[in-house]
Amino acid sequence: MAPPRLTGALRSFSTVSKKEDPTRQLYDLKTKRLKRQELFAREGLTWQKIVHFCTEHWGKAEQQAASQELKSLLQAAKQIVGTEHGQEVIECAAVFLFETFQNKDHVGTEETRAIKQMFGPFPSSAAEASCACVARLVAPIGDSKVEDFIKTQSSRHNPQQGSSFGRNIAFSYDLYTLDPLEDLQDSGLCDERVELDF
Amino acid sequence: MACARVPLDEQQVTEPGPSGKERTLPALHPDRKEERCFVPYTPPPENGSPAEVEEFLERAKFIAEDLEWLLALPHDKFWCQVVFDESLQRCLDSYLHQAPRGLDLAPLPLSPAVADVQRAVHRAVFLTFLRMATHKESKDHFFTPAVFGEIIYDNFLFDIPKILDLCVLFGKGNSQLLHKMIENIFTQQPAYYNDLDETLPTILQVFDTILNKCGLRCEGAAAMEPMKLNAQKQPTAMSMNLEELADIILYLCDSTTTIHAFLDTFPAACSSFHSHGFLSRLPSFYEAVVPDFEKAIRRRNFDDKSLQEDLWTRLSHSCRKVVETTHLLLHHTCLQPILEGQENMHTFAEELLQYFTSFLPEKRFLVDYDEQFPLADDISLLQQALPVIDETRTSYLLQGVESAWDSTGRRRPQGHLQSAAAS
Repeated sequence: MAPPRLTGALRSFSTVSKKEDPTRQLYDLKTKRLKRQELFAREGLTWQKIVHFCTEHWGKAEQQAASQELKSLLQAAKQIVGTEHGQEVIECAAVFLFETFQNKDHVGTEETRAIKQMFGPFPSSAAEASCACVARLVAPIGDSKVEDFIKTQSSRHNPQQGSSFGRNIAFSYDLYTLDPLEDLQDSGLCDERVELDF
Repeated sequence: MACARVPLDEQQVTEPGPSGKERTLPALHPDRKEERCFVPYTPPPENGSPAEVEEFLERAKFIAEDLEWLLALPHDKFWCQVVFDESLQRCLDSYLHQAPRGLDLAPLPLSPAVADVQRAVHRAVFLTFLRMATHKESKDHFFTPAVFGEIIYDNFLFDIPKILDLCVLFGKGNSQLLHKMIENIFTQQPAYYNDLDETLPTILQVFDTILNKCGLRCEGAAAMEPMKLNAQKQPTAMSMNLEELADIILYLCDSTTTIHAFLDTFPAACSSFHSHGFLSRLPSFYEAVVPDFEKAIRRRNFDDKSLQEDLWTRLSHSCRKVVETTHLLLHHTCLQPILEGQENMHTFAEELLQYFTSFLPEKRFLVDYDEQFPLADDISLLQQALPVIDETRTSYLLQGVESAWDSTGRRRPQGHLQSAAAS
C-alpha cells in the first residue's frame, strides 16, 4: 500500500487540483498492446515489402523454399497474436517478428520481452519457430543488405532522436534520504533496549 | 510543421484532415494529437512475484518509451499532446503521486532490470515536466508568455501538489533546474501564488490532524476551539496501535520533507508560509509532538526492533526538517532583508526578535534549533547590521537559550558556547 503522503491529502482536500473523474477509463496493458500494434503497423515496413525483398534476393530455383519460409513465419505469427485476429494483424505481427529476429540466432530475454510487450503472453515454440524461419530467410541475403532494407523502410529506425528534448541535460538521480537530527547510537535507544532485555 | 518566429499560440498549420482533404487549423488543436494511450504508473512491487515484476517492467517500459517518443516530438506536436491527451496527464500525475521517494520504507533491492527501467522513467518524467515548464524552447519555438501561463494553469499541467511532488522527487540532485522551472511557472502565472495561499490552510490542517490523532493540542486556531466531549477518548501515541503510530510518523516524515524540499527549491514561497503563521505554528507543533512520540518509541514494546529503529530515525529526520524549515522561513522573511539593507530594516529586526522570543517557552524546539542554527550567530549578524539593537533584549534572549539547554539536561556543542560568549 502507498505510504501516506502530504500531496495525497492536498489532492483530496484542497481545491487547487483537477478532480479526477473515477468513471474515466484508464488504459490497461492489453489496450496499450493493441495500440502499439496499431502504431507499429503504420511505421512503414509492410509484409508485402518483406515478401518482395526476400523473393527478389533468393535465387529463382529457391523461390518455393522462400515462399514456404514466409508462410511458416506467418503461421508462427498467427500463433503469437491468437487465431481470432484477421490477416492484417497477423501480417503486422510477422513484420515485427522479422524485424526482431533478423540479426538474432536464438530467442533471448530481450526478444521474449519485446514480443510479450507487443502481443502479451505467447507460446515459446512459436517464437522459436519464427526465429528459425527468419534466420533461414535472411541467410542467403546477407546481414548488411537486410539491415539496410529495414533501415530504409521502417520509420522506427529513423526517428528524430537527434533533436530529442533534454538529451544534453545533466540529470541527477539523487533522492532525498533520511537524515536524522540525532544518530541512533546517540539517542540511547540501543542502550535502553539492552536494559529492557535484562 | 508549423511556421517559425510566430508564437505557437498564434500559428496555423495546413495539413490533410480525416477525409484526406487539406485544411488549415490552429497549431494547437486537439485533432493534431496522436492516440498514444499512455498507461498510468504503478510503483515496483514489494516482494513481488515474478509475474508482478514482469507486469511492472512492461508497464514502465511502455511509459519510458512513450515519454521518449513525446520528448522527440517537434515543439508544436509536443504541446498538442500535452494539452489534449488526458492519458498523458494521468500518467504523469500517477508517477508524481506514486513514484517511490528516497524516504519510503526500504523495499528489497530492485533487480537490475527493474532499477534500469525505473531510472529511465524517472528521467523521462522530469524532462517532460521541464519541457512543459519552458515557454521559450528556442528562438523559433516559443509561446506568448501570458498565453503560456493560461495554458499551464487552465489545463492543470502544474498545480501545487504536483509542484511539491516534483520538489521531493527531483529537488535533491536537480535543484537549480527545478528552481528555474518553478520560478518560471509562478512568474508566467501568478495565480499559482493564490493557489499556494489556498493550499496552506490544508497543510496546517495536516499538522492539526497529526495532533488530534495523538490526542494532543497546541497553540493556534485549533487550540481556540472548545474541546469536544469525547476528546478524552482519543488514543495517544502510547496507546494507539503500532500500525497507526507508524503511519502517523511516516506521514509526518513525508510532510516535513516535502515542505522543506519545496521551500529549499523555491524560497520565494517562504513569504506565503510566513503570512499563514507557520513560524509560530511549527515550534509549538514540535514541542507538543516530538517528546510524546519519542517517549512512545522508546517505551512501547516493539516485537520488530527494526521498526522501532526506523520510526526513531524518521522522527529524528522530521525534527531536522521542521528545524530547517523554520530557519529557511526566518532567513528569507526576516534576516535576509536586513542583511540586504532593505527599507524597514528595523521592522524586520523587530519581527525576528519577536520570533526568537516566542521560541523561548518551546524549550525542546529551541534547543534543537539552537544546535543546528545557533541563535547567537543570528543575533551577532543582527547587531552588525543594526548596531542600535537593544542589548538588554538580546542578552535576555541568549540567557533564555542558555536556560533551555540547562532545562533539557543536554550538553551544548563546544562551538556554540564560544559564539554565545562572543555575543
